[in-house]
Amino acid sequence: MYIHHHTCISPQQTFRNADVEALQENTDNKLKAKEPVYDGIPPGILRRMGKAVRMGIGAAIPIIKQQSTDGIIIGTANGGMEDCIKFLNQIIAYDEGMLTPGNFVQSTPNAIAAQMGLLDKNRGYNITHVHRGLAFENALLDAMLMIRENPGNHYLLGAVDEISDYNYNIDLLDGCYKNEKISNKALYTTSSEGTIAGEGAVMFLVNNDAENALAKINAIQTLHTTDETEVRHALRQFMQQHFAPGQKADMLLTGENGDNRLLKYYTAAESLFDDHTTVARFKHMCGEYPTASSVALWLACYPQPLPPHMIKKQGSAAAVRNIIIYNSYRGLQHSFIHIVITHKK
Amino acid sequence: MSRIFVTGMGMISAIGDAVQKNREALIRKQSGISTLTLFNTKYTGLRPCGEIKKGTQELKDMLHAHEKGTTRSSALALHAFKEAADDAGLSAQQLSSPHTALIGGSTVGGMCLTDELYHDANRSENGSEYLSSYDCASVNLYLQKRYRMGGIINTINTACSSSSNAIMYGARLLKNGLAKCVIAGGTDSLAKFTINGFNALHILSPEKCAPFDRDRKGLNLGEAAAFLVLEKEEDIAGKKTYAELTGYGNSNDAFHPSSLSDEGDGPFLCMQKALEKAGLSAPAISFINAHGTATENNDAVESRAMLRLFGTPPPFASTKANTGHTLGAAGAVEAVFSVLSLYYQEIYPGLHFSNAIAATGLKPETHYRQMSLQHVMSNSFGFGGNCTSLIFSKV
Repeated sequence: MYIHHHTCISPQQTFRNADVEALQENTDNKLKAKEPVYDGIPPGILRRMGKAVRMGIGAAIPIIKQQSTDGIIIGTANGGMEDCIKFLNQIIAYDEGMLTPGNFVQSTPNAIAAQMGLLDKNRGYNITHVHRGLAFENALLDAMLMIRENPGNHYLLGAVDEISDYNYNIDLLDGCYKNEKISNKALYTTSSEGTIAGEGAVMFLVNNDAENALAKINAIQTLHTTDETEVRHALRQFMQQHFAPGQKADMLLTGENGDNRLLKYYTAAESLFDDHTTVARFKHMCGEYPTASSVALWLACYPQPLPPHMIKKQGSAAAVRNIIIYNSYRGLQHSFIHIVITHKK
Repeated sequence: MSRIFVTGMGMISAIGDAVQKNREALIRKQSGISTLTLFNTKYTGLRPCGEIKKGTQELKDMLHAHEKGTTRSSALALHAFKEAADDAGLSAQQLSSPHTALIGGSTVGGMCLTDELYHDANRSENGSEYLSSYDCASVNLYLQKRYRMGGIINTINTACSSSSNAIMYGARLLKNGLAKCVIAGGTDSLAKFTINGFNALHILSPEKCAPFDRDRKGLNLGEAAAFLVLEKEEDIAGKKTYAELTGYGNSNDAFHPSSLSDEGDGPFLCMQKALEKAGLSAPAISFINAHGTATENNDAVESRAMLRLFGTPPPFASTKANTGHTLGAAGAVEAVFSVLSLYYQEIYPGLHFSNAIAATGLKPETHYRQMSLQHVMSNSFGFGGNCTSLIFSKV
């Protein structure tokens, strides 16, 4: 499967005139997306959209405008969380009284893919994968299967999740975020439990056309385990299976997130690579959220060399062609993606 | 590509806590719609529901499901999953194999605990035991952990077509060689969230629902879990098979966030795609398990879409008056009913029907009968215009 267009709304300067050299700083443990002016969404509709739906549609519009697609495949763990809890608050506040259904309808996770279909009058395949930390990976796998089954078709593939005060609170109580406030610039130097929250929307146009593609998704694998040895073993097998003999990864892009409880997984993964491979990280840019690996894929397709603030260890590889993304969500859900860069970097 | 067969089934709904009990209830024309007795809401007595008359604690005790943070949705899923896995004779080793996948649909997930969620979202300390159990994925993550499942695990939420899409996705994993065995289905339990949501949309019936009836007053919510075990022809030598999954199709109606287009483009297209996938022409369908929620919008549109595609539609009925609308579980529940119809060569009647909708004149089947069935279609349509149709065929 090949990636042709990619858009990203994130806490960094990634949408229109993308520039990831300079890192936007944030110090309140919530990296909120820099939302653009949303051209192309009718104002009446835009007003009613929750943030997740808005970011998703906003990121999708530049792609939909260029190419009509045969289907929409979205990964989101929570969809419109803000609307969901707003409706919940109404239920409690009005003691199940007369409620307005707007928030309820907007809160279903498939509202994002549904709205895209509605705006684009797209009657093709429309699906929403919600498997928490592997929601985007399952969407990616689905897109790969669709293209294998329907060669010649184009699909809009994407991922969206939002920070709402409510899910931040639930995840904070659950120990996901740091208790002390830190700068995202210092994410990897704090040795404590928890990480910082993030959000964003990333969209890709995918098909099986190699010509003029940005990148090829060669393989993806997902894994559920809490055992880092198992992760290491699976990643080694993954590379043996999908790399040509003698081929090496030029870059390992990991989801390291400053949570000292998860470091063992990333250390185990890194131990499989030698001096050839550059090790890079991305969560200081977008924060941690269930579909953050979509930002890693967007960065892997980024047309310029990745900036120094992303590099953990510079390798000796002359050019970056083969990239492995390894991401772990809460030390339970893991994914490996093998990307081959087909354009010049 | 390989042929896909159903080798095991499990379900729990308001009309029974096992597949055979559900079948007997369907034959007896039993409705599981009743006044709520376990689930606490202001709408008790005002909005009858398809409530499973087993308390959450009772379910957990029965299933030895005392892990911290286990929700009613997860307990119901476990109940149906166990029955399906046992029915297909899957060993613990097979369940934990990297070649066994679990694909589940859900719309409510752990949000059945609406009050707990409210408190956890709004307070600053003393979180409940359910902090990581509210999302839809929590159900399948629970099953994954309990059975140490090693294959692809996925959760799909496309509203009321979620578990039909889970079954379709599972079949595609098998056909593409990414799994040898797939357990696919869905679960949803009653929640203040959905009762209030559907009530705010004015589509909950104050009476027992009457699918396809001229005077229908809306839907009854229900709760259920159902799973089907899907395996490839080459891997099931000598095994009992219930039916073959021959067709599936999904289409987006692209009309409105919570209602279907007048002409039923999405329903029409998904049925058409499923026929194409199965390599069948419309007259080959022997029976349709319709989505038939008994809302004003759904039944009129589904009828028109059936008329458009079939001219004269085959016999059809909806089982929503038996189980209630079980949302994310509905597609799997009705897939099981469709498979039972084929396996036993019988059709289950729709309840509470008196008069046909004037504009379409279509009458659902109202009597249980034995009937020769080759191909049964099962429809599921959800919010956002998400429409999915499955076709099962006789083996």
